[in-house]
Amino acid sequence: MKGLITRNLRLFFASKSGIFFSLMGALISFVLYLVFLKQMMTQNWQSVPDSKNLLDLWLMGGTLTVTAITTTGNALGLMVKDRESNRLADLILTDQSYLKIHSAYLLSAWLVGIIMQLAMYLIMQAYFMIQDGIGFESSILLPLLVVMIFSSLIWSVFNMLLFSFVKKVDTLGKISTIIGTASGFFAGVYMPIGNLPNFAKWLMKLTPVPYDSAIFRQVMMKNQLNDSFKNAPTEIITKFKTEMGIVIGQNFNNDLKFMGLALVILAILVIILYRYNQRVVVNKV
Amino acid sequence: MLLTVKDLTKKFNHKIVVNNINLSINQGDLVAFLGPNGAGKSTTINMLTGIIPPTTGIIKLDGLQPSSTQYHQKIGVVFQNSVLDNELTVKENLLSRQKMYRNSVDKLDDWIDKFALQSILNQKYGVLSGGQKRRVDIVRALIHDPELLFLDEPTTGLDIQTRKLIWKVLSDLRKETKLTIVLTTHYLEEAELADFVYVIDHGQVIAADTVNNLKQNFAQDVLTIYPSDMMKISQILSDYKYQIDGQQVAIFVQQYQAIDLLNKLKPVINSFEYRRGNMDDIFLNLTGKGVE
Ligand SMILES: Nc1ncnc2c1ncn2[C@@H]1O[C@H](COP(=O)(O)OP(=O)(O)OP(=O)(O)O)[C@@H](O)[C@H]1O
Ligand SMILES: [Mg+2]
Repeated sequence: MKGLITRNLRLFFASKSGIFFSLMGALISFVLYLVFLKQMMTQNWQSVPDSKNLLDLWLMGGTLTVTAITTTGNALGLMVKDRESNRLADLILTDQSYLKIHSAYLLSAWLVGIIMQLAMYLIMQAYFMIQDGIGFESSILLPLLVVMIFSSLIWSVFNMLLFSFVKKVDTLGKISTIIGTASGFFAGVYMPIGNLPNFAKWLMKLTPVPYDSAIFRQVMMKNQLNDSFKNAPTEIITKFKTEMGIVIGQNFNNDLKFMGLALVILAILVIILYRYNQRVVVNKV
Repeated sequence: MLLTVKDLTKKFNHKIVVNNINLSINQGDLVAFLGPNGAGKSTTINMLTGIIPPTTGIIKLDGLQPSSTQYHQKIGVVFQNSVLDNELTVKENLLSRQKMYRNSVDKLDDWIDKFALQSILNQKYGVLSGGQKRRVDIVRALIHDPELLFLDEPTTGLDIQTRKLIWKVLSDLRKETKLTIVLTTHYLEEAELADFVYVIDHGQVIAADTVNNLKQNFAQDVLTIYPSDMMKISQILSDYKYQIDGQQVAIFVQQYQAIDLLNKLKPVINSFEYRRGNMDDIFLNLTGKGVE
């Protein structure tokens, strides 16, 4: 299994263009924010002290969600490529069982997601430290890492489920493009969730994406929120949090529970589809 | 008997691709599947390697079934199309596959030497030439020291040097280790090295014999002469099998005898042609029609 994971990771990191394109969604949301979203929102929340710092952290939370979705998707694309090119047949001939091969795709995607989120975090943190002089809070590092690990896991499982039905690399490319674009909207980075019409809000909340962003944001913005809203009434804080998608389901615990539930459901579906997957794949060769 | 196959059949959507094939392969033998495009050779190999399940039929290797892990331990496979990772170097590819076997033997350096891979070891597999790739593929297939090696069209499209190198190493290997080899090919010349040949057409074994017998019966080498003096010919040819066809005479004679014969015929012929028996002849004789 270690051999398989090493191979999968090597293949992901061997392709510089692959890495770049898997970060495309995240980079777009980052650049979009810098070019115009930031100015617009700072104006909206003028009354809030240090709103710039607050918004920088807000952006980082959503962008990390997008990163997790697209990079794990890109890593799991290998599963589809291996099927189509018959590389899977060659892997099955080794001593590794199909279960191990399948799990190795998942575990490698999980690792890729964690590494890429960390990288993206460091880039953004460094940029905002230089540009806006935001502080570096070492106390959030550990909880942040835990959230990254969790978010990478759930999106790895999600992508594995999605790609179970994909047999062609061509289809894979199309799906990735759709996911890459949609994830930014669902994560609420192109536009805060509060600015959207009700139907869009409802649709977003059916997926785990905005919850993931919310959890990231709560972990990252906690201290800054306390500072900025030190003397503000609760309604204002609550309004800000709901408008900006920092809480989705009343409070942090609810958001966490929803994510946990989503993970369980996705995982069960992956397990149910495992047999189907194996049959399709092996017969196709 | 190392490998026995009984009544092997494969249907894809009700289309019969492999039809009731029986095989028995001895340890240490080199066995060739000879057949035209679409005959079902790769499909047969894929069933023998356990990659696709047969529709019906039994495959036994030393009493093991293709689905078992021990079966996989015993076989090595070179696929018709390359299946290593283009983005990784030759070395990375080989090491990563080696790690995927539990009890891999460390002969890798030895193989790299024998197949002359030293100079391309750090090149990406994807940029290699067809012949270089093939050599790496074979080393990949041998990495866990299998008893039985399957090669699906190992030398198609390769230049003569590469073919020779591959055949040399494989025959050395057979001498050293009693390795059993099953290969598919379109060429009779290649099947010539085999101990036993299965001729496959439309999913069926239409002949199973040694190369010599096959050639004797279905694909004789032919010396065609254009005599200047028909009268004297019959006298010289009295000991040979021949056919007169208008101005030309076809004589069924082996290569080395042909030289002697030509010396005798020299004064009475205008010109000659010599043609080795090929797969077309076999198919023509067995099925009444050539390769489609
Ligand atoms: N997965 C599949 N689904 C449907 N038909 C298939 C499938 N695989 C092979 N076939 C058909 O089975 C037949 C035999 O194919 P196969 O690849 O075994 O031939 P082959 O003898 O290896 O030919 P070649 O010399 O061209 O490699 C072909 O007609 C092919 O179209
Ligand atoms: Mg074939």
